[in-house]
Amino acid sequence: MPESGQVVPFRKAVLGLNGGPTDDLVVHLGCQLAKLGNAELVAVHVIEVDWRHELSEEMTSADEAASAVLDRAEGIAERYKVKLTSDLLQARDVAAALVDEAIELDVEAIIIGLPYRTRFGGDFALGPTVPYVFQNAPCQVIVVREQLPSSGERRSPVEAVPSKGRFGFR
Amino acid sequence: MKPWLHGRKPGDRRVRVERPHAEYFRYSEPGTLVAREAASAPRTSTGRALEKVRHALLGRRLSIHEDINERLSKVKALAIFSSDPISSSAYATEEILRVLVLAGASALFLSLPIAIAVALLLAVVSFSYRQIVYAYPSGGGDYAVARRNLPAIGSLVVAGALLLDYVMTVAVSTASAAEQVISAVPSLASAQLGIGVFAIILITLGNMRGLRESGNIFAIPTYLFVGSAMLMIAIGVWRIVVNGEGAPPPTPLPGQPAVSEMVGVLLLIRAFASGSVALTGTEAIANGVPAFKPPESHNAAKTLTAVAVILAILFVGITVVANAFGVVPIIDPVHKTVISQVAAIAYGQDSIGFYLFQTFTALILFLAANTSYNAFPRLAAILARDGYMPRQFSFRGDRLAFNSGIVVLSVVAIALFVGFGGETHALIPLYSVGVFVAFTIGQSGMIVHWLREKPDGWQKGLAINLLGCTLTGIVAVVVLIAKAPTSLLVALIIPALVLLMMFINRQYRASARHLAVRPDYVVPPPRREERVIVPIPGINRAVIHAINVGRSIAPDIRAVLISDEPAEAAALRERWERQLPDVPLVIVESPYRALVGPMLSYLYVLDETWPDDREAPITFVVIPEYVARSWWERLLYNQSANRLRRALIGRPHTVVVNVPYRREEEDEEDATPAAP
Repeated sequence: MPESGQVVPFRKAVLGLNGGPTDDLVVHLGCQLAKLGNAELVAVHVIEVDWRHELSEEMTSADEAASAVLDRAEGIAERYKVKLTSDLLQARDVAAALVDEAIELDVEAIIIGLPYRTRFGGDFALGPTVPYVFQNAPCQVIVVREQLPSSGERRSPVEAVPSKGRFGFR
Repeated sequence: MKPWLHGRKPGDRRVRVERPHAEYFRYSEPGTLVAREAASAPRTSTGRALEKVRHALLGRRLSIHEDINERLSKVKALAIFSSDPISSSAYATEEILRVLVLAGASALFLSLPIAIAVALLLAVVSFSYRQIVYAYPSGGGDYAVARRNLPAIGSLVVAGALLLDYVMTVAVSTASAAEQVISAVPSLASAQLGIGVFAIILITLGNMRGLRESGNIFAIPTYLFVGSAMLMIAIGVWRIVVNGEGAPPPTPLPGQPAVSEMVGVLLLIRAFASGSVALTGTEAIANGVPAFKPPESHNAAKTLTAVAVILAILFVGITVVANAFGVVPIIDPVHKTVISQVAAIAYGQDSIGFYLFQTFTALILFLAANTSYNAFPRLAAILARDGYMPRQFSFRGDRLAFNSGIVVLSVVAIALFVGFGGETHALIPLYSVGVFVAFTIGQSGMIVHWLREKPDGWQKGLAINLLGCTLTGIVAVVVLIAKAPTSLLVALIIPALVLLMMFINRQYRASARHLAVRPDYVVPPPRREERVIVPIPGINRAVIHAINVGRSIAPDIRAVLISDEPAEAAALRERWERQLPDVPLVIVESPYRALVGPMLSYLYVLDETWPDDREAPITFVVIPEYVARSWWERLLYNQSANRLRRALIGRPHTVVVNVPYRREEEDEEDATPAAP
C-alpha cells in the first residue's frame, strides 16, 4: 500500500523496451514506481518487420535477442518483487504497436527510454517513436532519457542514429 | 500460428510472438539460458504431491539471488556469535562440582579457584583469537589458519576436530537445554530424550528452510539470558556480602589434612579439565569476521573481548554463588542443574523469575545448538570444495542451505544425544578434547604465520599465540587423560575422520587425473568402429523402437535373445526373420535359466573374436524399456533390464542405451500396428 498522501502514478503500465542502453533505466524506474502502488507492469518489445517479409514470419535470428531483452526485464522485476509480464510483438511500426498494445491492455502509463542521439550537425534527435507515442497514447507517458554522455564518450552522429532496422525502436 | 492483432489504423497490425521457453527459462544473453523455478518443478503427480509436502515443511525454493549477506553490528554480532560460548556457563560450573563432590563437601570450595584458573585460560585464548581475527579478516578460523600455514595433515586434524566440536555443540547444548527444562518442570523427566530429539529435529527443519542466524529473534534470547544471569549473580552476591547468607566453609578437624591434600592433584586436574568446557565456542567469532560491519577485524576483536568478559563474569559469578550456598548437582530423583539451583536461590524456587530464567537458559542453549547448523555445513562445504568431503556437501538445497551437512550433523548429534542418554555430563569429555585440539593447531598455525610473514609487531603476536598454543596444548592433553576413557574416543574419531578425508581426496585427485583433458588437445572426429547389440525378450513395440534407435547409431546391429525355451526361440526366429529381415537375430540358449551371465559372456566372446589388427569397437547395448506410469507398474516391468544395466555399467568399451517406450507412443507408431 502506498504511504498516505503519496500519489500512485499508475496501476498498470507498459514498459517499452528496445534492447538499448535505456532499457535498464526504464525497468528500474517502472519497478520503483510500481512498488509504490503494488502496480503491474507489462514489458513490451517490438520486432520491427520490414515490408520484404510477412508480418507473421518467424524472425528466429531476432527472437533470441528479443527474448533476452524481455527476460532481463523480468529478472530485474523479480529482484524488486514486482509483477511483470512480457509481450514480444512483431509489427511494421514500433511506435504504433506500442500504443495499440497499451490501449488493448488498458494501461495507465507507458514508460519508454530515449537514448541521447544527435543528428549530423549536432542537434539533439528525438527519433520518431517518442513523438508518436506522445501524440497517440491515451494514457500518461513517461520518458527516461539516458544520461548525457561526457564529451569524450559522446557518440558520433553515425553511431548515434542507427539505421532503420527491423529490430528495436528507430 | 501467431495471433494477429489489429491496431487503430488498418496498417497497424501486429502479431504476438509465442515464447515457449519463457515458462521455464530466461535468456541472460543470447545463447545462455537461466532456469526458472518452474524448470525444477516435478512433472509427475507423485512428484508434485511430494513437492507440496516439501513446500509445507521447508518453504518455497529460493534463487541464489535471494541469498542474504547481512553485515552485523557489534551489538547484534555479540548476540549471534556469543550464544555458543556464553551458554557454556550454564553447565561449566556444574562440571567442576561434579568432580569435586567426589572428594566430599569440603572440596567444593576449590571450585572457585578452578573457575578463576579457567577464566584466565579463557583470557589467553581470547587474546590468541584476537590475533587470528586481525591476521585473517576473511574469516575461516582455525581451519583457514592451518590450511594457510601448516601441512595438509594439520588442517585436516583441525577440520576433524571442528566437525566433531560442532556435532558435540549440538548434542551437549541440547542435552543441557533439556536438563534445564527438567530442572524447572521435574514432571517432564521421562520425556527428556524426546524433548532433545524433538528440538534437534525442529532446529534441523528450521535450518533446511534457510533459517538465518542474523534475525533479531536470535539476538533477543542471548541478551535475556545474559541480563537475567547477571541479575541472578548480583542478587546472589548481594545476599552473600550484604546479608551474610550462604553456607559457611567447613573447618577442618584438628589433625585433618588440608583440603587440597585431601582432594589430590589428579582430582583437581580433572575438575579443571571439566571446567575448561566453558571455553567451547570461543573460536566462533574468528570464523565469521566477514559478517561484521567495517572495520571488520576491529569490530570482531572488540566483540570477542566483550564475549570473553561476559562469559568470565557469568562463569565465575555462578561459581561464587553456587560455592557460597553449597550448591551441588542433584541427580536423584530428578536432575536439578547447578544453574537452576542458583536461580532458585536468587529468584526464589517456583517464582516467575525462576521459570523465566530457566526458559532463557534453555533458549540460549538451543540457540547455541543452532550455531553449529551454520558452522558445520559451511566447513563441510569448504572441505568438499577442497576435495576432502563428498561433493554433495557443497551443493545448496532449495532454500540455499547446505542440506547434506545439516542432515549429517543432525543424525550424528541425535545418535550421540540418545546414545549418551541425553546426559550433558556424559557427553562433555568428548566435547572438550576436540575443541582444544582445534585451538592448539590453530594457534600453531598462527606461530608459523608470524614467523613467515613477520609484519609490524609480529613479536607480540608471536608471544601471545605461543602462550595460547602451549596452554591449550597442555589442556588438550590434560583433558584427554583426565577424561579417559570416554575422551580417548576422540583420539580415535579425529584420526579416523582425517584418514577418511585423505582417502576421499585421493579418490577425487585420481579421478581428476583420469578425466583431465590437456588444454592443447584438439578432439579429432571419432575413429573407432561401433556395433549395436539389442537384448530382446521377443517382438513387441518397445523392441522395435529400440531396434530403430540402434539402427540410427550404427549399421552393425544384431538382436540377442537369451532363452531357456528352445521351441519358443525357434518360433521367434521364424517370426523375426519375416518381420525384421535386415536385423540378424542371435539366440543364446540358456539351459541354466540365467539371463545376465550368458549376455555378458556373449559380449565377451564378441570382443574376443574381434580382429587383433583393428582397434576394439564401441559396443552399444540398446536396452528396450517399457515406461511404467505409476510406482506399482515399476515393480512389474523392466526388472530384467535393470539387472542387465547394472551388470553392464563399468564394462570397458561399452555404452548402455536405455530406450524407453511410452504408452503414449502407440498412436505415433504407425509403422508397427498392434497385434490383433
